[in-house]
Amino acid sequence: MLKCGMTGGQVKVFGKAIQTLSRVSDDLWLDPSEKGLALRAVNSCHSTYGYILFSSLFFQHYQWSPSATMIDNSIPMNLNCKLAIKSILPIFRCLNYLERSVEKCKIVSRSDKCRVVIQFFCKHGIKRTHNVYFQDSQPLKILFEKSLCANILMIKPRLLTEAIVLLSSNQEEVTFSVTPGNFCLKSWSGESLDLSSSVYSEMSFDPEEFDFFQVGLDTEITFCFKELKGMLSFSEVMHAPISIYFDFPGKPVVLSMDDMLLEANFILATLSDQPSRVSSPQSLCLSQAQRRSDLIQSSAQVGKSGASQAPESISRAAPKRLFPKDPLDSSCATETKRASTNQDDISEVPESVVSDMEEGPGPSHLRKFSSMFFGAVSSEQQEHASHPLDSWAIASDSEEDVSG
Amino acid sequence: MKFRAKIVDLACLNHFTRVSNMIAKLAKTCTLRISPEKLNFILSDKLASGGVSMWCELEQENIFSEFQMEGVSVENNAIYLELTSENLSRALKTAQNARALKIKLTNKHFPCLTVSVELQLSSSSSSRIVTHDIPIKVIPRRLWKDLQEPSVPDSDVSIYLPALKTMKSVVEKMKNISNQLVIEANLNGELNLKIETELVCVTTHFKDLGNPILPSESVSQSRHPEDMAEVHIDIKKLLQFLAGQQVTPTKAVCNIVSNRIVHFDLLLEDISLQYFIPALS
Repeated sequence: MLKCGMTGGQVKVFGKAIQTLSRVSDDLWLDPSEKGLALRAVNSCHSTYGYILFSSLFFQHYQWSPSATMIDNSIPMNLNCKLAIKSILPIFRCLNYLERSVEKCKIVSRSDKCRVVIQFFCKHGIKRTHNVYFQDSQPLKILFEKSLCANILMIKPRLLTEAIVLLSSNQEEVTFSVTPGNFCLKSWSGESLDLSSSVYSEMSFDPEEFDFFQVGLDTEITFCFKELKGMLSFSEVMHAPISIYFDFPGKPVVLSMDDMLLEANFILATLSDQPSRVSSPQSLCLSQAQRRSDLIQSSAQVGKSGASQAPESISRAAPKRLFPKDPLDSSCATETKRASTNQDDISEVPESVVSDMEEGPGPSHLRKFSSMFFGAVSSEQQEHASHPLDSWAIASDSEEDVSG
Repeated sequence: MKFRAKIVDLACLNHFTRVSNMIAKLAKTCTLRISPEKLNFILSDKLASGGVSMWCELEQENIFSEFQMEGVSVENNAIYLELTSENLSRALKTAQNARALKIKLTNKHFPCLTVSVELQLSSSSSSRIVTHDIPIKVIPRRLWKDLQEPSVPDSDVSIYLPALKTMKSVVEKMKNISNQLVIEANLNGELNLKIETELVCVTTHFKDLGNPILPSESVSQSRHPEDMAEVHIDIKKLLQFLAGQQVTPTKAVCNIVSNRIVHFDLLLEDISLQYFIPALS
């Protein structure tokens, strides 16, 4: 059972976290533990995972006592509370108003009734009570060894925010390109799929502008611009620099902020390099189909063993970068629900686009996003059958075991 | 072919940005003509634009502190480029408080106009450089003849325009009633905007506008001052023209050739804009 209390000011931060995660998904897990209260969200195609942990110190008071009906006393039970964003977001809508008028906010979970009760004690003796029903669902947790990443950068969010403003807002993707001496932000804008008609923008940052700049691998990663903006927007209520952990393209990038009271993490899929240049749309479709069927096979195996696996990456076409759907997509769609491909998945690439592809800024458009597979982090009771999403192994490439 | 130019003065930069914004509203795709003395933004009266044509001219030395160009050849010392107008205006928008802006013609993987903005960093005295590569198409020599300055027709009536914002709000409301609009004016300083449907007729009258004194007085002297010269035009085209005008022009004249064409001649400080809307056939 969860019981915690906040002041009006803390409600604003909590509400902002919910708003930030609402951009990721339509559902959100409320996941309390002894450490604190975590909010987790993952998008439908598993290319973005957001996780915001409010430590117990953040709250005015915080109490978490796992349910008495535990199968094994040594293993902590989750609350297994999944809330629909559309039921919780309206409660935390006008944050400035809440900050001013709420004196105290209490959140209590009632697992027996599958309800979370949120009470606002406002000025003038007004008390507002919201009962939000939740779905019983094991939260998706992922473990990612940030410190093992070759490239670790730390920068004041304000600097990145100022830079982002200079890129046009209709961008889908943003690229970070690093060498030991330079950090470069790149993007392409324009609705057309034709590379030769999009505006390419670039800006460089000096390593001196970073609080910490470690580049072990010269690399270029591309990921969803919207998620970066979401993280930067949340940074306004935190007082910490933003840390960026990444490696080679295809491996997820972690954006993280930690200010002692709370910790925010976004794990985002990055576009991966095509293993081989495709020369025709047909061969591209074939290679995708092959990769997908491999995943279905390997996913079955994971389901059984529950052990950690080498990183699975499925290729998902960067949205709107390629033309309409591959016919193979629909047949695989249901099966690959576990593999969690996006519906607007692999598509045909017109030959002309492929052949015009040249070195330089071009190729990344035709690379694919690697989606990540997430799984329950501990070796606790795994419900393989009922929650396929939850029982995926970790997508970390660390050598460590899952339960470690 | 070579082109490089630099703007260091903030006022010039803002002025150029404003012109670029206006062009972006007037034409989705336009031609940029670069010559030693001038820059022109051109929209020719192809069918694609519905017969509308535009000619915008600015003296390069009023804007750029450095300007170097080399045209296609010595005899044809000009460069004609086609670009998406919005790309340029968006790139310029990022230069709002820039220390310097450079534009040059490059060919990285395909021809581009590279806009390079030097911004002052808020945290330190150093600057950040942001570059935007705007893709362009070089227009071949044989098509240049279609992109020449349109000849100003001998108009029946020439009149100064009223406040463009007022005209815009009037035409905006009229657009909901009819697709066609009649613009008429006389040499008595009167201009009317009329729309007519089966059910309703709406006319907005502007008076005391004044008429510019034309060199060829003989033509206008034979004309009765009260006589209206009128043109039926597509209301959306007029609205697009008016929507593009964000700044009050220094001078704004409307020339009407009865039943043929309406010609708007604006001067925005030192930049001239001419916009032609043909009569509906």
